[in-house]
Amino acid sequence: MPAKTTILLRLAPLAIPFLAVFCGGLVLAAAQSLGYFSPLPALPALSADAPTLSGYAALFHGLFPASFFFTLYVALASASLSTALGAFMAYLVWGLPGGFRAAATIYKIPLILPHIAVAFIILILFSQSGFLASVGHALGLVETPADFPALLYSGSGLGLIAAYAYKGLGFVILLAYAVLSRLDRRLIAAARMLGAGPFIVFTRIALPHMAQALGASFIILFLYAFGGFDIPYLLSESNPGMLSILTYNLYFNRDLANRPEAMAALTIMLLFSAVFVALYARIASRMKNTERKL
Amino acid sequence: MFFACRDITKSYGNKPVLKGVSLTVQAGELVSVIGPSGAGKTTLLNILAGLDRPDSGELRFAVPPSKKRPVIMVFQDYLLFPSMTVFENAAFGLRARNMKKDEIRRRVCDALDYFQIADKANAYPDELSGGQKQRLAIARAMAPGPSLLLLDEPFANLDPNLKQDAAAFIKRAQREFGVTTVAVTHDLAEAFVMSGRIAIMLDGALAVTGTPEEIHKNPGGLEAARFLGPVNRIPASLALAPGPGQGFTSGGALYLRPQDLGLRKDPQGEALVQGRAFTGRYYIYEVALADGPLTVHSLQNGIVPGDRVRLFIRESAPAAPPTPIKETA
Repeated sequence: MPAKTTILLRLAPLAIPFLAVFCGGLVLAAAQSLGYFSPLPALPALSADAPTLSGYAALFHGLFPASFFFTLYVALASASLSTALGAFMAYLVWGLPGGFRAAATIYKIPLILPHIAVAFIILILFSQSGFLASVGHALGLVETPADFPALLYSGSGLGLIAAYAYKGLGFVILLAYAVLSRLDRRLIAAARMLGAGPFIVFTRIALPHMAQALGASFIILFLYAFGGFDIPYLLSESNPGMLSILTYNLYFNRDLANRPEAMAALTIMLLFSAVFVALYARIASRMKNTERKL
Repeated sequence: MFFACRDITKSYGNKPVLKGVSLTVQAGELVSVIGPSGAGKTTLLNILAGLDRPDSGELRFAVPPSKKRPVIMVFQDYLLFPSMTVFENAAFGLRARNMKKDEIRRRVCDALDYFQIADKANAYPDELSGGQKQRLAIARAMAPGPSLLLLDEPFANLDPNLKQDAAAFIKRAQREFGVTTVAVTHDLAEAFVMSGRIAIMLDGALAVTGTPEEIHKNPGGLEAARFLGPVNRIPASLALAPGPGQGFTSGGALYLRPQDLGLRKDPQGEALVQGRAFTGRYYIYEVALADGPLTVHSLQNGIVPGDRVRLFIRESAPAAPPTPIKETA
């Protein structure tokens, strides 16, 4: 059998599902966003033989723009928060004496919690009928639980950010700690001897060492938060809402005629994610080549 | 006195590593603590650096180290910061002191010039040779103006042909900067080249301290003498009489360095050569005496197994013309 065929056959178990599910889904979504394979062939605008951009055009006259920027904000804020806190906590854990370091594996708990469970925890803790509101009421800090500040569904996205940040924290610590465990601890001693305080040691020695892992963590967490559905399903505000919820509503809860719009939203999300990753990779690579600080 | 440690002890678990070490170092001195691996040299250095605490004993500085005049150690593997350039590494200690940018640039450029790595200012540590890494590590340590510089095995990661140059360079730099320096090493020749004073540490204790010449002539004990190089134990029955500065006695036996002991072919000689090996610097002869076997380290050439020889004390040999060798391209 020719070598090329053998290689293709060996790749088949990986390539066929990828082609069928990922590429197939992608092509189908893009096609539906352009009016092909429409569920409503009777509507001329949506069943045109030629491609139509009406799905995309409709998006920009609806909730999409506000929803896009809100999602971007939530994803950036939560991924940044997880990454910053995770880096710092990984450094703290790394600096603990051996016995305490083992006990500090408690940070892995959020890793085993499903996203939906984290969403429920945030809901139970921070909603106006939740645990903190009840405690505030019991302590006389608020007259009724409903007087507790509206941390969720207030338009600020705080609940979403908190849920994604908490869920992502363990992941960042895990990756950053793995990298730190390869850092020679005597570098810290060397820096301290040269007069560096704890802040300089962290920012100039530990952080550059973790930078690549933190960059990868940030990208993964950002993309998950940008496209995630489970946490927004429980915690997302309605106006503007997260893109995943907007897309879901466009696809299932309204007119069938909105389906090209839903597919257009998905396609834009995918394209944005791809551009975001490419942009990040380029910046990180440039920084690595010039300064090696990130 | 710059600093003095008195009766320092240190154990790890049940294993004593330092057993009452006392050492006084004067300001501006370069003292090398030499000894075999596991003798406790690095533990002593860590205590001087403040990275470890003694179990007992006292370490006293005439002027206690401060952030302005710190104790800085250059580690065996240099521990350069891998994400920083040569310039940034050298500037690290100055930046940590919030010095002005212009002043940092001036001082770092001067230091890189002096340490002959100015052309590598924008390179990263993994782009440097072993010698350049060492010079950068010393430049980084010197830049903040330390009160005490500690060198941990400064020659361990250098090619053999670079060690002597590095030793001479460290000696020059130490004198130039006037920084009191303590080095620990097991590279004897380099320690002798660069040090004003040497302390031999054996099994957690300082066996002897003195100038390189003093130590060489009188190592103070058999173990220390053996650490400094091969010695011949000549039984009293041979009745050899050394000249001034040649050998030393211990337990009734005479001890001589290879350069002081010769073998001369003599059919009436007291020793029969049974084996010979060349180490590159001297010969090791296995000889049989009337009262038992003896191992002889000597520079003497031309003796082969089966020869009967007489042992004698060598006088200073007149200088011989060097043997011409072919130059390599």
